[in-house]
Amino acid sequence: MSALDILLVILRIAFGAFVPLSFVAVLVWMERRGAAFFQDRAGPNRCNVLGFRAGGLIQNAADGIKLAFKEDIVPGHVKHKFYFILAPMLVFITALLCFAVIPFADVLILGDKHYIMQAIPMDIGILWFLAVVGFGVYGIILAGWSSHNKYGVLGGLRAAAQVISYEIPMGLALVSLLAVYGTVNLTEMAQFQGRLLFGFIPMWGFVLQPLGVIIFIVAAFAETNRTPFDLAEGESEIVAGYHVEYSSMKFALFFMGEYVAMFVSSALIVTLYFGSYQIPWFTTETLVTYARPVVIAIMIGLPVIGYFFAEWMKRNNRSHYYRENDPRQKETAVYVALLWSLVAILEVVLLVYLVFAHGGVADRILVALLQIGTFLFKTFLMCFVYVWVRWTLPRFRYDQLQKIGWEKLLPLALLNIFITSAIIVSFG
Amino acid sequence: MAELVKLFVNGQEVEVESGKNLIDALRVVGIEIPHFCYHPALGADGNCRMCLVGIEDGRPPLVPACKTPVQEGMKVLLDAEHIKKIQRDVLEFELINHPVDCPVCDQAGECALQDYYMNYSLDDSRMQVAQVTKGKRMDFGCGVVHDQERCVLCGRCVRFTRQITKTGELGIVNRTDAARVSIFPGKPLNNRYALNIVDICPVGAMTSSDFRFRQRVWFLKKDPGICHGCSKGCAIYIDHHREKYKDDVIYRYRARTNLNVNGYFICDDGRLSYAGENENRQTSALADGAVIGFDEGIELVRERLDRARKPLMLISPDCSLEQMWAVQRIATLYGAELSGYSDNYIIDGDGDEYLINDDKAANRRGLELLEIDFSRAQFLTGLQHTDLLVNFNNDLFFGGVDEELKSLLDKTQSIAVCSHQLQVYESASIVLPTASYSEYGGTIINEDNVLQRFEKALFKNEDPKDVLEITRLLGGAINDAPHAWPGIKQSVACLADIDPQAIPAEGIKLQNSEDTNVGA
Amino acid sequence: MSIKVRTVERKGRTFLEQLYLVEVIKGMTVTLGHFFRNLLDNSRLYVRHYPEVKPEITARWRGRHRLTRHEDGSVKCVACFMCQTNCPSNCIMIEAGERFDGKSEKMPTRFDIDLLECIYCGYCVEACPMDAIRMDTGIYSVTSYSRESMVLGLEDLLETPGAFAEEEYKKGGG
Repeated sequence: MSALDILLVILRIAFGAFVPLSFVAVLVWMERRGAAFFQDRAGPNRCNVLGFRAGGLIQNAADGIKLAFKEDIVPGHVKHKFYFILAPMLVFITALLCFAVIPFADVLILGDKHYIMQAIPMDIGILWFLAVVGFGVYGIILAGWSSHNKYGVLGGLRAAAQVISYEIPMGLALVSLLAVYGTVNLTEMAQFQGRLLFGFIPMWGFVLQPLGVIIFIVAAFAETNRTPFDLAEGESEIVAGYHVEYSSMKFALFFMGEYVAMFVSSALIVTLYFGSYQIPWFTTETLVTYARPVVIAIMIGLPVIGYFFAEWMKRNNRSHYYRENDPRQKETAVYVALLWSLVAILEVVLLVYLVFAHGGVADRILVALLQIGTFLFKTFLMCFVYVWVRWTLPRFRYDQLQKIGWEKLLPLALLNIFITSAIIVSFG
Repeated sequence: MAELVKLFVNGQEVEVESGKNLIDALRVVGIEIPHFCYHPALGADGNCRMCLVGIEDGRPPLVPACKTPVQEGMKVLLDAEHIKKIQRDVLEFELINHPVDCPVCDQAGECALQDYYMNYSLDDSRMQVAQVTKGKRMDFGCGVVHDQERCVLCGRCVRFTRQITKTGELGIVNRTDAARVSIFPGKPLNNRYALNIVDICPVGAMTSSDFRFRQRVWFLKKDPGICHGCSKGCAIYIDHHREKYKDDVIYRYRARTNLNVNGYFICDDGRLSYAGENENRQTSALADGAVIGFDEGIELVRERLDRARKPLMLISPDCSLEQMWAVQRIATLYGAELSGYSDNYIIDGDGDEYLINDDKAANRRGLELLEIDFSRAQFLTGLQHTDLLVNFNNDLFFGGVDEELKSLLDKTQSIAVCSHQLQVYESASIVLPTASYSEYGGTIINEDNVLQRFEKALFKNEDPKDVLEITRLLGGAINDAPHAWPGIKQSVACLADIDPQAIPAEGIKLQNSEDTNVGA
Repeated sequence: MSIKVRTVERKGRTFLEQLYLVEVIKGMTVTLGHFFRNLLDNSRLYVRHYPEVKPEITARWRGRHRLTRHEDGSVKCVACFMCQTNCPSNCIMIEAGERFDGKSEKMPTRFDIDLLECIYCGYCVEACPMDAIRMDTGIYSVTSYSRESMVLGLEDLLETPGAFAEEEYKKGGG
């Protein structure tokens, strides 16, 4: 193993471990501000450090500090303390492990070596995901049971029944997808989606599997216990469900676990159905070939985006009532300055690339970075859909939930398999 | 039981006792005839005209109910239009000069004028001229404060001083709207029953300076009780209230009608004795002056009693029959001598022929019936030989400090179970707090051999344990007051037929048979 | 008179509605519209920037209580206990004493309102025969660091001025 091998192993594992964690902060922020904007409110906008609120991100820091310093209570009536403490870890760790098999860029070719851009390069791919995500629900059941609390037990039972019901349509939706792709390896699936259908439509999963994508997304929502399927913690009936007895960092683990799960399942949906890291019409090889024009396009595009973003900040980041020497406008000025310096730095870097380093390895790395960016952007949009759905749809009733799972999604998934197989068999 | 007669009220047949007037007779069957001046103890005066009713037998259209005795077959009319009109008119007349003091008047809530106005009138005032102003807040002496404006001139107070106390300090002076109740110049009320005037005044003209503005009457819980001020055992109402964030305290006593014992009135000393129930109370257990927990105190007392060779127990003559019985049992249990010595409770020459007695012990007859020795000789001998005195709430210095007893007490190791902080308990090495008579239920027998029952009225935040409960904690077998009765019935012949749950409100007059009356 | 029966058409039975997805997307379009409307210009939010921008209180608003005075400065309250009697949450505690200023015979020596218990129903104001207690201070935010300081005494209640002119208060039905 060369030093480069070790460096890339470290980089990929670090990416797989820390990106979901950093996204937790972004997602919590997006959830709160998003919810507020969906409901015509402002959302958290007071928390600040020296007057800098970072659009509400500081609130996350405050909440994190609060949770860390809260008293960590294990209620006296809890008999099995080991399981009680194990449960939140299980939820969090399984959610994190799922991300390990998701590719975030095309295979990186450096010289004569191929690096698969996954945290754990494995062939079983999607099967790992199914195995680990199913394990996550044990954490919820364990939490409900070991809390020794009727609400907790009810929450745990609901989660168990729900996950079992929805894993079946999810698995069946995947079956037809696997038939289309002809592989379980996620990297290969991603590469498959770089092709074009009839020469002009990107061959993304949702184009090939329009029914499958709906089934899979619905089932994925249910798997992550997000609205409209969050009956496991239905506040109105069972207080907080399985985590009613948890406090401090143990609660924080549940909370973060939920957002990591949301991020991972968004990443998976993107990987399976929305072209993964693929930029439409630009395959990896195309990008490598036309690296210079792409970079020039980016160099032109960056200041334009920067300008509109700065204008948007100036318009919105100010006090909407009379205030002398509005501190928010000063805050905005700093943000705008930072934004322009960032743009300037990027321009310089790209310029350096253009002048000195283009061609060969540098092109490959640039394309990999572009693809990582694309992948994260798509995942971010998918997470937004999660938030969007949560603040639009009301929670299902429990019987409705089971009915949709068994009576609607299951037959549809089977039908999808028949249609898909028929098409594949007849057209090859 | 008096003879029953049938009569018709508004066409409806009712059966009432004969020999009474309409107001009293019909009140028994729940029909109220409004009246101001009539009071059963003071007789009919007929000056207020509020009780006018119609009798359909050829009499004049309106007759005063207070002056009309019931007769068989009488047809009484109460709800006819002309009766209602006369009631409205009388009320309007009374209210011409009556100030709207209700917000600041202590009588509001138990005021006859207010109630009748709400029930029978509700008319607006038609007066165009200014109201006549008279004296307000006039001190009549003996704690009676008079407001002449509020007076309806029913004359109950005047008749009370003339007929009941026979002192005659009050009179009505002047005529028409200048008429007012007044004392003679320089001669205020001076009798020991004066505060009854406050009770019998139908309006707020007479108020008690003691109760004045302390509480609104509708907040008060009115529980029946027995005054423990003297051996008369007058029936009273204990008016108490628990204010928010505070304790249940007594605001006043009022006379309760009991024709067997006190009639309609009580004495002023007894009325004001409620203060003793609120103040100067022993609330915590003490050992050698240091506060200890109650349970700890009980343990200490048990220990001392077990070790004592020749304990002596002293019981208060104020205790209920059940408590005396329980203490008697526990004295037997610990082999203690029991005394009810209470000569200090007798204050010679203090009593009168009416309601006040020399003997201030509420239940001396109980001591006699249970054959508890209360002679001085027995107590003194016992005190000289004992090594441990347990005093159950007996204030040996009630009528003044007894030097001979004091020197003996100082020499003796003693335990006090007491409800109040008093000088006599100062020499005690262990002090246990106990309930006073408003805080427990039981039965007592007054000097006229009337057995009366009273219930627990006050529920303190930290409810003190009564003597009976303390005997149980010390190892006695009697759990509560009803459990004491089988034993009492067996040992006291004249109580053998008594059902303690069925003692009527006016008490039971016991047969004074010679064989049970040993102590007398 | 016969009972009027109106048959309401039951919604949500067509195929498209039964499909649910179409309706979901319709709903999501609406919320997304709101999202972008607010994202692009957050001055259009339907909220008040509360601690800085205060709501306008009308004279009929039941705020924190106060006790009023006569024009000569003497306390209007005569300690009649009507407010205490009428109070559904038992938050008023009064002690009365003698009064010698000729306005009345009685006045409060202690007048405590436990704001933690108060439910701001305004029954005390309605019960008062003297117009002595009012809830027109315009104080709607009552906060404190201790339970004890939430009990207002006679002095606190007398000190607070009303927030409205007399005519405005009367017009408000007070």
